[in-house]
Amino acid sequence: MSDIKLNHKQKREEKKYFKEHTTHIKLTPGDIVFNIVNYAFFIVFTISCIFPFYYLFINTISDNELVTKGAITLLPKGLTISNYIQMGKVNDLWTSVLVTFLRTFIGTALMVFVSALAGYLVTKKEMWHRQFWYRFLVITMYFNAGLIPWYLNMSTLGLTDTFAAYIIPGIVSPYNIILVKTYIESIPAEIEESAYMDGASYWTIFRRIIWPLSKPILATIAIFGAVGHWNSFQDSLILNANSPELFTLQHRLYIYLRKSSNISAMVQSGISSADTTAIAGQMNTKIIQYTISMVTIIPILCVYPFMQRYFEKGLMLGAVKG
Amino acid sequence: MAGNTAYAEPESKLINKNKKVFKPKTVTEKTADVLYWIMRCAIAVNVFALFFPTFNAVRISQNINGNMSLFTCAVSYKSMLSTFKAVLKRQVWIEPAFKSLSFCAVLIIIASVIAIAGGCMSLGNRKMKKLGCFFTLAAGIVELWGVLGINPILNGLINDSYAAGKFDDMKLMRPNVMYIYIAIGAIYIAFSIVNFFLVPKPEEGVGMEMEPKFRLFLMMLPIIALAFVFSYLPLYGWRYAFFDYKSGETLSMEKFVGFKWFTEIFKTAATKKDIMTVMKNTLAMSGLGILTSWVPMAFAIFLSEIKNTHFRRIVQTFTTIPNFISWVLVYALALAIFSTDGFINTMINSMNPNDPTVSTNYLMESGHMWLKMLAWGLWKGVGWSAIIYIAAISGIDQGLFEAATVDGAGRFARMWYITVPELIPTYCVLLLMSIANILSNGMDQYLVFSNAVNREQIQVLDLYVYNLGIGSGLIPLSTVVGMVKSIVSVILLFAANGVSKAIRGESIV
Repeated sequence: MSDIKLNHKQKREEKKYFKEHTTHIKLTPGDIVFNIVNYAFFIVFTISCIFPFYYLFINTISDNELVTKGAITLLPKGLTISNYIQMGKVNDLWTSVLVTFLRTFIGTALMVFVSALAGYLVTKKEMWHRQFWYRFLVITMYFNAGLIPWYLNMSTLGLTDTFAAYIIPGIVSPYNIILVKTYIESIPAEIEESAYMDGASYWTIFRRIIWPLSKPILATIAIFGAVGHWNSFQDSLILNANSPELFTLQHRLYIYLRKSSNISAMVQSGISSADTTAIAGQMNTKIIQYTISMVTIIPILCVYPFMQRYFEKGLMLGAVKG
Repeated sequence: MAGNTAYAEPESKLINKNKKVFKPKTVTEKTADVLYWIMRCAIAVNVFALFFPTFNAVRISQNINGNMSLFTCAVSYKSMLSTFKAVLKRQVWIEPAFKSLSFCAVLIIIASVIAIAGGCMSLGNRKMKKLGCFFTLAAGIVELWGVLGINPILNGLINDSYAAGKFDDMKLMRPNVMYIYIAIGAIYIAFSIVNFFLVPKPEEGVGMEMEPKFRLFLMMLPIIALAFVFSYLPLYGWRYAFFDYKSGETLSMEKFVGFKWFTEIFKTAATKKDIMTVMKNTLAMSGLGILTSWVPMAFAIFLSEIKNTHFRRIVQTFTTIPNFISWVLVYALALAIFSTDGFINTMINSMNPNDPTVSTNYLMESGHMWLKMLAWGLWKGVGWSAIIYIAAISGIDQGLFEAATVDGAGRFARMWYITVPELIPTYCVLLLMSIANILSNGMDQYLVFSNAVNREQIQVLDLYVYNLGIGSGLIPLSTVVGMVKSIVSVILLFAANGVSKAIRGESIV
């Protein structure tokens, strides 16, 4: 720990030194032009990244009539939250929100636990044919049978039109197992050995030593796993196409985006419920789309600040191969 | 635990210590080992058979859905009879027979669970093995009880339905697969008894123990099983490529067509044309992706030229957000900006209110589809992909830059001669990976953006497989396409790996 602190201190001092000595360098006209162009580019690109979110948001909190007329451009007008209240009455949406939350929590928890356990086990040299089983897991990253055989396999196993179809296939994730394995290998082996000498079983070592020590990497894979679960839409689209009560939020949004260009078509297609029909009179198609999109985006934006500090860690570890 | 004393010597290697607990094997023990391996294989077969509709021993009538496994029948009595409802309404008297049938299925499941426990114990020391024998024996008895129970039920049903004159209605049949279960049950019983006597008497004072290697393996086993089921088992689905199969049917050898579908693709003019456009789209879009793969690197280099840390932080934060939203949401944003009543059209109309222009839906145009898709891909991914380069740049020795400045190198010279060469290794790895993935563009992006107008220009291989298989139900044909794609991808990956090894001396996989 003290090493790290020292390092920080050193870095700070270096920075200070650098600042003091570089600010005196005079900027040439070429530098100024370069800086202006550079800043301008990044400002424009950054705005292009966040403006769509902002535009969606101001439309959902503006007066519906103005939105329909197309009067909202850069600022919200006639603030209201009635859209969100109206959307809250759509039962379809609530089931989707519930299903998506559940799959995110359960799926991520199981994936993290299994990755941690498998990551630990494959570091144990005394395991029976360890190398073979490790390769057996890792090799699955590099091939896949294809969409249709995968679908047929899932339906043979009776996993179509079930909630389990979201959870079970994602539990074993070889990439995350490699990440955890690499991390665990960096933990000093003495800690584990001494526990073993004291008579701790593998399970106890895993639970009491490995799990707490590898929390940083587990947090990283948990966050990426959770985002993956929240965003995933193919499994709902392909496996659970016949059970609307299991549609994930992304799938629901997809349906609304696709079909709601014509509300009556949506009602006829039987995808929407009576609730949708009821609110269709009060809400413009466009506003329905915008509001559902916001409902889907908000959770991501909420966890985003917490995710950020794990980005680099996750990426750098990913660069280290197993 | 009794074995803990054995671990007490701090310096001893684990292997040496184990030799004390596990004595060298006698001849009888070796024979027992062979028998144990056969039994473990039988257990594995038993467990997998539970999940395959082909091995459904309780499917005594063709009215029971052919896609139901023994496991599904045992867990859910309702779904076992879901395809039986009409018959069940007419003949209420068959209900008790089916209740006992589902009881038989449950018995087989219980037997398998006990057998798994017994099989795991067979990896332990003598004492554990002896106890395991009782487990497998019990499993064998329960399994035989379950399977042999099916026959009387079936016979009863046959007699009753003859008596009621409803034999044809019931479509009864004798499931031949139940002999497999009988054989497995017999193996359990016979081998348990034999092994019980073959395994020598356990040593005095030694508790139940298992070698660490097997203990670890058993902890790993469920994970291996999951990987097998969800990653390896789908490969077995490649067999559909050789059959004339329609969704919902059961496969039989009469429908075997060999390589018909492989040649079919190039025989039919329609599919041939489709494949050509799809390949063109796939290669064009992947190619454009590869051609622009330097963009994140340039992004990172120019961003690092900005000295204001706060500004850099903000740019990084906001440009990474798009990476974390799904393609469906990207499409939602695209609609909000580019559709008929989206932002662009609203802006145009509000600028000249007196002259109502006709609004265009930019998403319904088919021009420049490849470039548009590339732009969306860049918008979503560039900030994220740049992070790895930014991290690499911050790792470059500042002294290099200072020395170059002293030597009179300008800004661009420093970028080109210092930063770029430092980033090239990372870039090469990512480039090789993207070349290996040239056929897999993913389908989400193209699925959400596709519509009736741009369908021709947007359909990539992954989307084509989806449309063909799930959309049109042409399972064999789409399996063929997917299969060829998978094989080519693996070959490309190994080629890329070979190139990397030859040039950099490091493998990428």
